[in-house]
Amino acid sequence: MTGRALFRGVLVDALRVEFGAVEAVTGVDLRVEQGQAVALLGRNGAGKSTTMRVLAGVVPPSAGSALVGGYDVREATLEAKRVVGYCPDVGGLVPRATPWEHLQLSARLRDLADWEGRGRRLLERFDLGDVAHRVTSGFSHGMSRRLSVVLAALHEPDVLLLDEPFDGVDPVGVEATFDVIEDARARGAAVLVSTHLRDLAVEVCSEVAVLRGGSRMATISSGFMAGDEGARAYRALLAG
Amino acid sequence: MSAGHRSRSGARGQWRRALRDVRHLLAFRAATVRRRRAAGSALAAIGVVTVLAAVLPAGMRVDADLGRMLAPGLAGVAVGAAAAGGGGRELIGRDAAAVHPISPVSDHLGALVLAPLSAGWLIQAWALLGLVAALSGVRAQGIAVAWVLMATALAQAVGWTAEWLRRRGPGWALGRFVLPVVVGLLAAPVAAVVGRIVRTGGPLSLLATAAALLALAVGLVVLGARAALATSRLVPRDEGRLESRTYALRTTPRSDLAVLRRIDRGSVWRSVPLRRGTWLLALAPGSIALAGGLSWSALVLMPGLVASGCVLLFGVNLWCLDGRGLLWRETLPVPPRTVVAARTWVLAELLLGAGAVTLLLGAVRAGRPTAAELLAVVLALGVVVGQAVSAGLRWSAAHPHAVDLRSARATPAPPLVMVGYSLRLAVATTVTGVLLGGLAEAGRTDLLLVLAAALGAVSAYRISRAGRRWSDPVRRARVVSIVSAG
Repeated sequence: MTGRALFRGVLVDALRVEFGAVEAVTGVDLRVEQGQAVALLGRNGAGKSTTMRVLAGVVPPSAGSALVGGYDVREATLEAKRVVGYCPDVGGLVPRATPWEHLQLSARLRDLADWEGRGRRLLERFDLGDVAHRVTSGFSHGMSRRLSVVLAALHEPDVLLLDEPFDGVDPVGVEATFDVIEDARARGAAVLVSTHLRDLAVEVCSEVAVLRGGSRMATISSGFMAGDEGARAYRALLAG
Repeated sequence: MSAGHRSRSGARGQWRRALRDVRHLLAFRAATVRRRRAAGSALAAIGVVTVLAAVLPAGMRVDADLGRMLAPGLAGVAVGAAAAGGGGRELIGRDAAAVHPISPVSDHLGALVLAPLSAGWLIQAWALLGLVAALSGVRAQGIAVAWVLMATALAQAVGWTAEWLRRRGPGWALGRFVLPVVVGLLAAPVAAVVGRIVRTGGPLSLLATAAALLALAVGLVVLGARAALATSRLVPRDEGRLESRTYALRTTPRSDLAVLRRIDRGSVWRSVPLRRGTWLLALAPGSIALAGGLSWSALVLMPGLVASGCVLLFGVNLWCLDGRGLLWRETLPVPPRTVVAARTWVLAELLLGAGAVTLLLGAVRAGRPTAAELLAVVLALGVVVGQAVSAGLRWSAAHPHAVDLRSARATPAPPLVMVGYSLRLAVATTVTGVLLGGLAEAGRTDLLLVLAAALGAVSAYRISRAGRRWSDPVRRARVVSIVSAG
């Protein structure tokens, strides 16, 4: 299917991803409505980042289907990339380009007009205004994470994919990321947040999907995953 | 126990630890080799060629003057490369090494061990062994081996000293340009004496000379270690300067290709090893051609030398320019062929620029060329750039590596892989240069054009095929996952 479907959120059906003999994702089903934020939780190697990479159009699925913003990522990869904002789990920045050059590249390739004001505001909001014209190879881990969130949010995407956006980020950055997620939800975007930090995930997302061994174990309302009770429930899900 | 005794035993302990660490690091590197059989075959082939180079030419007749030229040439080129490399190759990447207590002495010894894994080093060493065998037979090979070891230790010591000067500050930095010249001038008379002994010396003088060269090599290894220690106490200025400076705001380019080209150019020229390497390869061969007053028939080989060298800076692992950022770049809505076109453009313009600078320098004293000679040189530049770009695109997709090109000592692929790439490039571009030069000498401009068109067509086809293959999402995902894992 190369046209755009009516459903503009995230729809994953029986997704499988194989890297040679290794099955990284073994059958994930997932649905994120427009205006909804869902958290992906799970242990290391559960398949969270691979699922995110499939949705971002980086890794082609071996089987199953993935629909983002109304586009099939396999059939209409470029169109899907246009409507997705993705913050990768590692690095994600060109080491010898400046934050502003990253924004320029993203804006140019997405044909954005009058993006500069929003770009500046986002950089300021994430406390990166002073380093907007320095290359990113000198950035700390937290600064790189914050810039990755800025890049994902610049074009106000229909689907916002944030992979470990809070990892190593200071409270100001966490708060700014919350704002980005809230803004995206408010304008009707589907938001998927992959993280190890359950407390932050339940604070900003309405539902939590737990992955284990490459497949989805459960999708639960955030309320049930909060606090000590939630921690026990989460541990039980991880242990199977 | 006296203070002097304590200091001597401390130094001995430091060297013992360094040698032990190098052994462990070598074992670690060997364990991480992906294609072990290929690596073993490559090492065996290098060994066989070395033995053949040292034995086969014995009894052949060569011009005796060549012996005097080659030894300082070996020292000069090795020293120049080491000075640009800022301390030679790393046995283990800087980030990976940061968590281990690896001393600068271990780092220095590791770089010495890796020095032979370079096509430039191997070709020169083979040439020297071959020449000594031809001049004096196998009996003088002890001197050739000792000279190679001494030159390698000298190059490494010069490399560390140049890096120390560079890190001291702008006032000292000029010294790094003078240093290789001074060393070259000092090496020349020594080489002349050694050359005389090689040709006329008896068994005893051959043995004594080899022993003296080995002793000198040991002294230079110690000197290099001291320079490495001194350098390690200073901050790498070039990297810090490039990372902390503010880059001027520029308007957004009008096309996708233009914005991608701009990012890729920035990735090249803001990288310390790429910037230094490009300037060295653009200026050094041209300066040698200028100093030696090379003729147009010799200049036709220069573009191949420069293109082979420049493509080894990053072209054989093109996607590593983006580092971990390749993952994010892959999510941008742009056709893969545009991405390939931009990177091909940037690589080609760099190779063409460096080759053109070399030819312009060489042309100053080369005299007036015939039309065929001029055509051959220009066509050679275009053809070898095509060959280098097509090889780079193919190898980058087939054998990607996660590499951080931040350090001045970084290379885009493991040492043994680099040897394979450089030898293949050297053969292809040299054969091209020889063929075009031969046709120019025969005055056959028609055949020159036909050959250049044929070779250019092969490269164009290969570049186009590499572009098509990059459009395959599965192949691309494999490269992205490897490169961005670094």
